[in-house]
Amino acid sequence: MRRKHKHEAEEAGIDMTPMLDIVFIMLIFFIVTTSFVKEIGIEMNRPTDAPPQTKQESEVILIEIQETGQIRMGGRTVDVRAVQANVERARAEKPDSTVVVAAHGGANAGILVQVVDQARLAGATNVSVASSVE
Amino acid sequence: MARKHARKGDEAAIDMTPMLDIVFIMLIFFIVTTSFVKEAGLEVRRPAAETATPQVRGNVMIAVSETGDVWMSKRKVEVDQVRILVQQAKAENPEGSVVIIADERAPTGVVVRVMDEARLGGTEQVAVAAREGSGS
Repeated sequence: MRRKHKHEAEEAGIDMTPMLDIVFIMLIFFIVTTSFVKEIGIEMNRPTDAPPQTKQESEVILIEIQETGQIRMGGRTVDVRAVQANVERARAEKPDSTVVVAAHGGANAGILVQVVDQARLAGATNVSVASSVE
Repeated sequence: MARKHARKGDEAAIDMTPMLDIVFIMLIFFIVTTSFVKEAGLEVRRPAAETATPQVRGNVMIAVSETGDVWMSKRKVEVDQVRILVQQAKAENPEGSVVIIADERAPTGVVVRVMDEARLGGTEQVAVAAREGSGS
């Protein structure tokens, strides 16, 4: 009987208060610092400095953006909404080609994103971005 | 005497085990999900894009304002500094990637230069932030 009593007292004697304090402080810290905001965006590539020698000029679909925001493809001025159809047609002719968007340094980034978006809608997975010096 | 004994018994009877279990589970959840995002510190008008995807690993934000100013870690920086700052961020979190938050009217030249500097800083994947919806 006496032994049992002693055993009970020992069990109740474990003081968890300091550990609990620390756990609560950590919990509050992580709750406060957690941010679940995730940016959405489109991935863009830069053309490598040394292009492989086997790459032909004809395998590149070039889209130019001028300073005024005009888009030129294959010598013609095209609308932003027409880029998708144009890229689709060019890709049908040359399926392995990569899309390169060459933007003037002063052009708006919004147009660049729209053009890259249109090219991605047309099925081009790898869109590279180049920019001329301001 | 009898009353005192009863109170002692009451105090010892509070069972904190279920609460502790929940607290620990919450703690582990928050530790696992926390990612320390380096905010750019500038709000811009994001361009719209239909193919935009969530950037799960993106934790370094670089903002480019309408006038071509580059903002990083809540202060304005020069374009040349971006490389070093990205290198520092990569040292802290090697798995992170860079998200450039460019204003709709930001000059493309600055955006592309920031992209180059970020790649020189050691990130393979650079994304440009957008909002969902068709742009035209």
